[in-house]
Amino acid sequence: MTQVLIDDNREPSPGEPLYALKGVTRSFTKGGVTVNALRGIDLEIARGETVSLEGPSGSGKTTLLQLLGALDTPTSGQIRFAGRSLEDESDSVLTDIRSREIGFVFQQFNLIPTLSAAENVAIAMVPRESSHVKRMARASDLLGQVGLAHRLGHLPSRLSGGEQQRVAIARALANSPEVIIADEPTGNLDSTNAGEFLALLDDLQQQFGVTIIIATHDEDVASHTGRRVRIRDGSIASDTTTAL
Amino acid sequence: MFSLSYAWNELRRRLGRTVVTAIGLAAGVGLVMGIIGVSQGLSDAQNKALSPLNSVGTDIIVTRTVAPTLSTATTTTTTPSNGFGGGGGGGGGFFAGRGGSSLNSSDDAALAAANSSVITDLAKLGPAGTKFTHDFFVPGTLITFPSQAVSTVANVKGVKSAVGALSLDALHESGTVPKITASIKTGGQTISASVKPPVLSAAEQAAERTCIQGLITRQLGSTTTTIPGSGSSGSPGGGGFGGGGGGFRFRTGASSAFAKCLSPAQKAYEQNVTIPEQTVNEVLNPPTTNTSTSTYTVAGVNTSDTTSGLVTKAQLVKGAWLSSTPSVAKSQVLVTTAYASQKGLKVGDTLTINKVNYKIVGLVNPTLTGDVSDVYFSISNLQSLSTNAGRINEVLVSVANAKDVNAVAKAIKKALPGATVLTSASLADQVTGSLSNARKLANDLGGALALVVLLAAFLIAGLLTLSSVSKRVREIGSLRAIGWSRGRVVRQIMAETLGIGVVGGVIGIAVGSVICLVIGAVGPGLSVTSTGLAVGASKVSGLLGQTTSATVARTVHLTAPIHPLTIVIAFAGALLGGLIAGAAGGWRAARLSPASALRDLG
Repeated sequence: MTQVLIDDNREPSPGEPLYALKGVTRSFTKGGVTVNALRGIDLEIARGETVSLEGPSGSGKTTLLQLLGALDTPTSGQIRFAGRSLEDESDSVLTDIRSREIGFVFQQFNLIPTLSAAENVAIAMVPRESSHVKRMARASDLLGQVGLAHRLGHLPSRLSGGEQQRVAIARALANSPEVIIADEPTGNLDSTNAGEFLALLDDLQQQFGVTIIIATHDEDVASHTGRRVRIRDGSIASDTTTAL
Repeated sequence: MFSLSYAWNELRRRLGRTVVTAIGLAAGVGLVMGIIGVSQGLSDAQNKALSPLNSVGTDIIVTRTVAPTLSTATTTTTTPSNGFGGGGGGGGGFFAGRGGSSLNSSDDAALAAANSSVITDLAKLGPAGTKFTHDFFVPGTLITFPSQAVSTVANVKGVKSAVGALSLDALHESGTVPKITASIKTGGQTISASVKPPVLSAAEQAAERTCIQGLITRQLGSTTTTIPGSGSSGSPGGGGFGGGGGGFRFRTGASSAFAKCLSPAQKAYEQNVTIPEQTVNEVLNPPTTNTSTSTYTVAGVNTSDTTSGLVTKAQLVKGAWLSSTPSVAKSQVLVTTAYASQKGLKVGDTLTINKVNYKIVGLVNPTLTGDVSDVYFSISNLQSLSTNAGRINEVLVSVANAKDVNAVAKAIKKALPGATVLTSASLADQVTGSLSNARKLANDLGGALALVVLLAAFLIAGLLTLSSVSKRVREIGSLRAIGWSRGRVVRQIMAETLGIGVVGGVIGIAVGSVICLVIGAVGPGLSVTSTGLAVGASKVSGLLGQTTSATVARTVHLTAPIHPLTIVIAFAGALLGGLIAGAAGGWRAARLSPASALRDLG
């Protein structure tokens, strides 16, 4: 596996979990009907952990993932991330946290179809780096690390599913995040590409201690993680740690 | 701020959307350019037709007119007051007599002299069979006045400059001296008279004495009276009547009787008058002559002032302007393009007028319905040719401040009693026709139409952008998720639509230019109908309504000129459209929360 370049100069606070969720609920109202997606979640995730969130459709795992990714705020309860409370933060603060601390990998890859592989990685650096040249240079390095040095100028439509997912990983790493959140990352990959993706995650975690949180239906993916959190009806049904 | 490369790639790689949105904007911008062009074209045409004075650097024309009837004392265009310059004229203004629209004596004389020159004396044209041409210059009803009026007008407050001009009708006669003529000698008689009575002979004296004596005797009865100087033994000669003491008076009626006593030599009184002898050749049978006449118009311009006058140097379309050296200009003329075309003349040709050759040094294209003449001389030259030395019949006035035109016009009327003062505004009132209607339409609806078209274009662009943003929910949600703020997303979309605006502007300007060119090529003619407006054989007399029944109709070709400002407006409109579309799209994008966007991903 290729060496991944990540700036890992953070000084994690000893003993403080990266995430600390306490009594978190999230409800949505649609058509006058209130749906309680999450019902009192208590969860702590330490730095460097690889955690899978499992559960059937509608169990609330994607909602939990959105709260962990600072994409949404809870209806009630507390979420502390890297020592900061997220539940009352404004959109601009959450946006800033996302740009600095969190990388996302989506099931559909969500690459911008009009941009090349390198530009898709560089676009994530726009809020933090004003120099286009520097952005493109780092994007090239990152794509090289995920084995796509020869595909820098290709549009997503010219890349395979596995290659697109690698580009998405490179994009997630662009701002040297504290955590990578992946939503069904292998949902659109064949078994070979899924295996390569998991190997890549292992590499990231082992080399740089990046926290990885994966929402998945895939037993293979879940079993690949050190901690498996099962969600059912908006609550944590089980939280098990396995030795890999 | 935003990613330029991202914006560029969005425009480039979503070419269909870019082109469709840009064409939507371009269509609006092009139509607006067309509307502005047509409006400008109408405005230009109207200015050309309605404001001929402006195009010759003139705001006001001052003339001396005479009302057609004797009841002119009630004419409202004049202010009865004492004309300056005094003089015992016959009641006219302009330096003689009282102000008013009637002529003073000097004007009467000048007008009579000018018009009386229109007599062809065949005897002076050579023997029978001789081909002849003869040109007469007459002021018609636009009478002349002393050129001092120019300085008078120039001294009126608010007048920037005043220049004199002479505009005349010309009558061109040509033919052959007829054979059937008779020479009639007149005059030669001598009438003589002597004022010194002859010396009477002694007999005549005696006879007179006797006669008078008899009269006295009859009047006095038996009284004996001695006629002084007639003693019984007196000798003839000497004496006379009167003198002496004592005497008597003849009764009334006696003087006629006394006259009978005078000698015949004393009764006669003679004066000699010699009538000069002259010979006039008169056509005995006029219908046998082949004299033909044609008319044209001439005008005199100040060669030292090329910016104001009946024609200006700016209206020179070919050749050169009249020389500023009088001796050179004396043999030069300018001809209008219309007259040159009609007569087949060109620069360098020679016009022969009254046996004098004039070189056509330039072709001019004076204003459409202004004071257009066919041939232009230097004013001093025309004054000399038309026996109008020191006289003009127009003063062209340029006003320092356009707002003051009416006030200056009033002041000129006051300074020159009897003057008729014409401004562009008063001229414009005389114009009707489809041009006038179209201009009104353009004024009333053009702006609104342009606004509606532009708003429609903006709406189209906005809707297309909204649609585009709605299709990019996944993309925009992803950008928000990876740390792009709402503002950055909005700016990015606006940058893209601004780019579309640039493309739309360029295409729109091209489309608008084509529209304007097509309008210019196949645009309809617009009629101009004006009462008294002079065209063709035009004169200011026509402008001023002296030819009261003259209604002139012209057709003005509609053009749609493209001014730089129009292009700027069009481009700015396209950019504005792009920004508005971007704002609409950005507003839509900003409403997407990253979580909602990701949920939409399924």
